[in-house]
Amino acid sequence: MNRRVHIIGTGSPFGDDRFGWAAAEALRDSPTLNDDAFRWIEVSILDRPGAMLPVHWQAADIVILLDAVRSGVAPGTRHCLDARNLPDADMLCSSHGFGVVSAIGLARALGNMPSRLLLRGVEADPSWSGFCLSPAVADALPAFVGDIVEEARVLSGFYVPAAANRG
Amino acid sequence: MTEPRHIPVRVPVLARVEGEGTLELRVHNGAIEDLRLRIFEPPRMFEKLLEGRDYSEVPDMVARICGICPVAYQMSAVHAIESLFGVDPGPWVRAMRRVMYCGEWIQSHSLHIHMLAAPDFLGYSSVVEMAGKYAQEVRRGLKLQALGNDLIRLLGARSVHPVGARVGGFHRAPSREQVNLLLGKLRELLPEAEDLVRWTAALDLPEHEQDFTCVTLRHPREYPMNEGRLVSSHGLDIPVDQFETRFVEQQVAHSTALHCLLDGQPYLVGPLARLNLNLDRLSDPVRKLVNSLDIEFPSRNMHHSIVARAIEIVIAIREATDLLESCQEPRMPYVDIQPRAGSGVGCTEAPRGILWHRYELDAEGKVVHARIVPPTSQNQSRIEADLRESLQNFGPDRPEEALRRHGEMVIRNYDPCISCATHFLDLRINRWPV
Repeated sequence: MNRRVHIIGTGSPFGDDRFGWAAAEALRDSPTLNDDAFRWIEVSILDRPGAMLPVHWQAADIVILLDAVRSGVAPGTRHCLDARNLPDADMLCSSHGFGVVSAIGLARALGNMPSRLLLRGVEADPSWSGFCLSPAVADALPAFVGDIVEEARVLSGFYVPAAANRG
Repeated sequence: MTEPRHIPVRVPVLARVEGEGTLELRVHNGAIEDLRLRIFEPPRMFEKLLEGRDYSEVPDMVARICGICPVAYQMSAVHAIESLFGVDPGPWVRAMRRVMYCGEWIQSHSLHIHMLAAPDFLGYSSVVEMAGKYAQEVRRGLKLQALGNDLIRLLGARSVHPVGARVGGFHRAPSREQVNLLLGKLRELLPEAEDLVRWTAALDLPEHEQDFTCVTLRHPREYPMNEGRLVSSHGLDIPVDQFETRFVEQQVAHSTALHCLLDGQPYLVGPLARLNLNLDRLSDPVRKLVNSLDIEFPSRNMHHSIVARAIEIVIAIREATDLLESCQEPRMPYVDIQPRAGSGVGCTEAPRGILWHRYELDAEGKVVHARIVPPTSQNQSRIEADLRESLQNFGPDRPEEALRRHGEMVIRNYDPCISCATHFLDLRINRWPV
């Protein structure tokens, strides 16, 4: 049986913070993922889910989280992380600043982690504002989406025809 | 295709995430000589941003003031503008606004209880740490928070900065199928919410009674939410449009936020004040639940705020259930508006307390002037008074870390909208003689 892959784009409408949304929207439009062969792959868009993030990935075996990143490197730079390599959450959680690392920490404490949680992102341009992506991040988007499609195809396992699964 | 609107709201949004609170203490011979809570309240800027905007833009713009209580800002705004236009949107809109508000109370209170307050009383530095031993309780909190979000989404299309409310009603009505789905979840989670009340009441809460004035809305029949008169535990009873005759905001040198006083004195708004002054507005099942607790309300112990929040979650679940069970799909989810010049006031009960709005519009319905008094600004003087008394009782000569933790716990009882900042409380103590 194929493993369930849940791709979640998180962010907000503001500037490059909408990168996760833009990537998830592009994935939803992807002919590959729209094929019945990949119905094991679910794509969601979440608006700043905070502590609710683990609730959304409950039924998934593998989660790919798409988000904008700020680490100080050049805007548009690709980031690939595996949650297994992340440290424990910062303990200074709050209602407004409950980020992805805190959500992962909470999921670990609740025993609600998927078997694999991959974080894929692109460095945001901190000087950019408005309701669209900065040029550097927009340029990075197509290749990023293409790579996520390939990664999700491999992770979900091999194709089992729908008829075979109904038995 | 519509051109995107560019509204420069990014500064307040960032400020909320990055804001800081600083507690400054001056201790002389073991006594607190001076205490100042310095906080930053970005919503001030929105009043200017609203000027020149059409009345129809106001609900979506003010929703951006807060990511936790956007419904409150929308509700105070639409009530203020409708009072100006002389509009009555009818019983369906009234009921659905209350349902949407119930959603916000449920999600905001649940978030505060589990993310912020409970770790204090159980000796953990965060919910992540607390979840190791209290996983079931945290899961319950997340379920309740999700329920609140679902209710907001039912009418607002999304839970963060919802967009469904408009002056005159809602942009669309939910389908019967959506309503039935929510009803199922509400019924399923009511027993868990009642368990939450008993759980919070059984926490080892500090015993510390104080003297303070409670201020809330008061409705002739209902537990207050969207309508009512302004009342206090010291005899105040005025219509909301007379707010400015008794409540005065003043600047203080140590904070960018205004401090609001009632007749020159600090006062409390929020769940404990609401419950204290509206016990006779509880439904029979809720009253029975409250009476079964070992805590007696009205309470003068601010640490009982966590219990008041849990009780309000039960109130909101029952209220939303009743309203959704009896609602019929309307012919139109809003009434048409004819703008006119004038000034209108709205005051509703945000999760953190009364949220007062006044708008002055021109004949075309453009905002000439706006004034917004959020609950956090109203509670600030009360928080400082509480800190002064609580930290004096706690012992100002204790180590800085202990004072910081105790100070944070006191502040969190008020669930200020700088909750994120108060977790990063920077304590500065000037002790003399050293």
